[in-house]
Amino acid sequence: MGSKVEAMTLSMGPQHPITGHFRFILEIDGDIVLKLEPDIGYTHRGIEKVAEYRTYIQNLPVVERVNSYCDSMGTLLGYPRVLEELMGIEVPERAKYLRVIAAELNRIASHLYAICLVAISTGFETMLMWTINDRELILDLLEMLTGQRITLTYPTVGGVRYDLPQAFKEEALKRLSYLERRLEDYRKMMLENHTFKMRTQGVGVLKPSDAIRLGIVGPNLRASGVKADVRKDEPYEVYDRMDFEIPVLKNWDCYDRALIRALEIEQSIRIVKQALKELPEGPIRARIPPLPPKGEAYSRVEAARGEFGYYLVSDGKDKPYRLRIVSPSFRNLIALPFLCRNVPLADVPIIYISLDLIPLDVDR
Amino acid sequence: MLMDILAFLTSPRFIEAFLRVIVFPGTLFTLLYAILAVWGERKLHARVHLRIGPLHIGPIMGLFQVIADFVKLVQKEIIVPRAAHRFIYNFVPLAAPILAAMSFAFIPCAPYPFYYGRPGPPYWVIYYTDLSLLVVLALFSLRPLLMIGAGWASNNKYSTLGALRAALQLFAYEVPLIIALAGIVIAVGTFDLARIAESQLVVWFILTQPLGFIVALIAMMAELGRRPFDIPLAEQEVVFGWPTEYTGAQFALVMMSEYLDLCAVSALITILYLGGWYGPVVPFLPPQASYVFWFLFKVAVLTIIIMLGRAVFPRLRIDQLLKAGWTWLIPLALLQVIIVLLEVDANMSWCIPAIAG
Repeated sequence: MGSKVEAMTLSMGPQHPITGHFRFILEIDGDIVLKLEPDIGYTHRGIEKVAEYRTYIQNLPVVERVNSYCDSMGTLLGYPRVLEELMGIEVPERAKYLRVIAAELNRIASHLYAICLVAISTGFETMLMWTINDRELILDLLEMLTGQRITLTYPTVGGVRYDLPQAFKEEALKRLSYLERRLEDYRKMMLENHTFKMRTQGVGVLKPSDAIRLGIVGPNLRASGVKADVRKDEPYEVYDRMDFEIPVLKNWDCYDRALIRALEIEQSIRIVKQALKELPEGPIRARIPPLPPKGEAYSRVEAARGEFGYYLVSDGKDKPYRLRIVSPSFRNLIALPFLCRNVPLADVPIIYISLDLIPLDVDR
Repeated sequence: MLMDILAFLTSPRFIEAFLRVIVFPGTLFTLLYAILAVWGERKLHARVHLRIGPLHIGPIMGLFQVIADFVKLVQKEIIVPRAAHRFIYNFVPLAAPILAAMSFAFIPCAPYPFYYGRPGPPYWVIYYTDLSLLVVLALFSLRPLLMIGAGWASNNKYSTLGALRAALQLFAYEVPLIIALAGIVIAVGTFDLARIAESQLVVWFILTQPLGFIVALIAMMAELGRRPFDIPLAEQEVVFGWPTEYTGAQFALVMMSEYLDLCAVSALITILYLGGWYGPVVPFLPPQASYVFWFLFKVAVLTIIIMLGRAVFPRLRIDQLLKAGWTWLIPLALLQVIIVLLEVDANMSWCIPAIAG
């Protein structure tokens, strides 16, 4: 009768159990979220600018901080690759294999983390604990390989920093087959859980046309039914020799975005097993010239969250003239306000978490 | 005068009442239950989560961790938000545990072994009345009012949202719960919990009224806000729901009231459906003690069942809960009542104690 109820504005985050270092400004009418506006920038560290004041080698741990705590290898791998492309270096075979092994192990750890977050966004503590525990096994493997659990700084310009330690192969195969058994447990506990399906199926449906239009990348795009993966489309390192598939799903909802990460873990296990089997002998690092030539180069790799790009402009000095970082979470963030229109408030955490956004990655 | 007071204090009647209020069905027992329940829940969930849980404090397996946490919480500053309604805000943490403990005062636990013809109830109960089921339900339905009051008084948007969810949730569980319990009242013909328990000497109501048991258990879990239904407290959505702003001792009291409620609900379902204090005679125990043993045992089992919900279920959405409540629980409860009425009509005395006795 003429009187209009004003929407309530709710500021969700940055102090909120689920948002991480984001703030979402929600307009709520009762329980329905009319509009969501992400407020980013809480973790902006100016890494692109910092990189212009460090030498190329010093920049390795710096650019890793873009997103080191989930997916260190996926974040960092592009940076040595862009330099190698600029310098025209061929990386030794063994180093290529080692890079693939570390990258896929880190992808497994990152996807386990993503699954745990989807579980806890519906209040499923058991899956949180299980996946975090099993992620620790992979982190232990990475620690054997690089000396670090989280911030690996493993690839370097021209190769990798460390060779495989003794007994790594046996330990890795043992743990990966354990993880394969655990994936079956996850399926029974979470993916076939009726209540979990009720909460996630049909929620946050991102159609393929919308996903392409918005420029979504990575597992979110594949969960939206588009077969796109840099590892297949433009193979780098030794991915062209690896025998794996790109899973694509057809319901396009939050459940699929959780499921695709479980499916990709299976594929990553396949890749690591094959790479460990085929691992050739040889050096792990090529000799590199002291300075890169003048010019520019772009490289992209498939990180756990999607395509990770580095665009490097060099003026022939020992520091980059400009380093542009294209991070996947920033590109996926745009889907969040798109999906959070006229949804119940209870679905906002699930949609947000299922996109697997990392604030560090968005802000750089 | 002094001698009168002394004589009253030493009279068996006072000592008996004092023991009831302070020790067995009263304060000490419920507090001990709350401590053991929090500890047990943490250990149970740790076991499901493949963790270890509390380990170091106390004689075995971190038993005193809860006490340490309580002491830590009590030490903390009590913060009242500036724009909060001070009276309601401070009143709710005091009222909630009292309300929860009060409902336990009307639930009989076992026949009273030392009854020598003195006036007083022949049961382990603080206050005996033949309308105890009604009183307990009335006390339960007061709790959402406290939640709404606290949520509104906190002057926090998350608290308000949590309180509104608690109010909505009331519609999902209250009606099916009362319809399901009506089945028992029809079968026994009384609201007296002690007589309801005694009528199950031969057959428990979980066997004759399984649908009612399922509906009552689910509705009670929703009332308690345990995991699949902890919508008013949903951490990922509304931070902590209506008690978001409470700190320190007030938070401890609010949390304690949840576990006192759990105690009351477990005891109530035990009395209503699980045969109360009846069970096989325990060897080496006098029959009176075995009554108490069976009551406590059943309460413990029910508590564990209710707690396991948090380990194996994600949280439902409020509209899904309301839909489940109105499309599944109410028809099931009504079906149970119809079945009971048909049994009354057919004079089936083995499942209708009111006819038999």
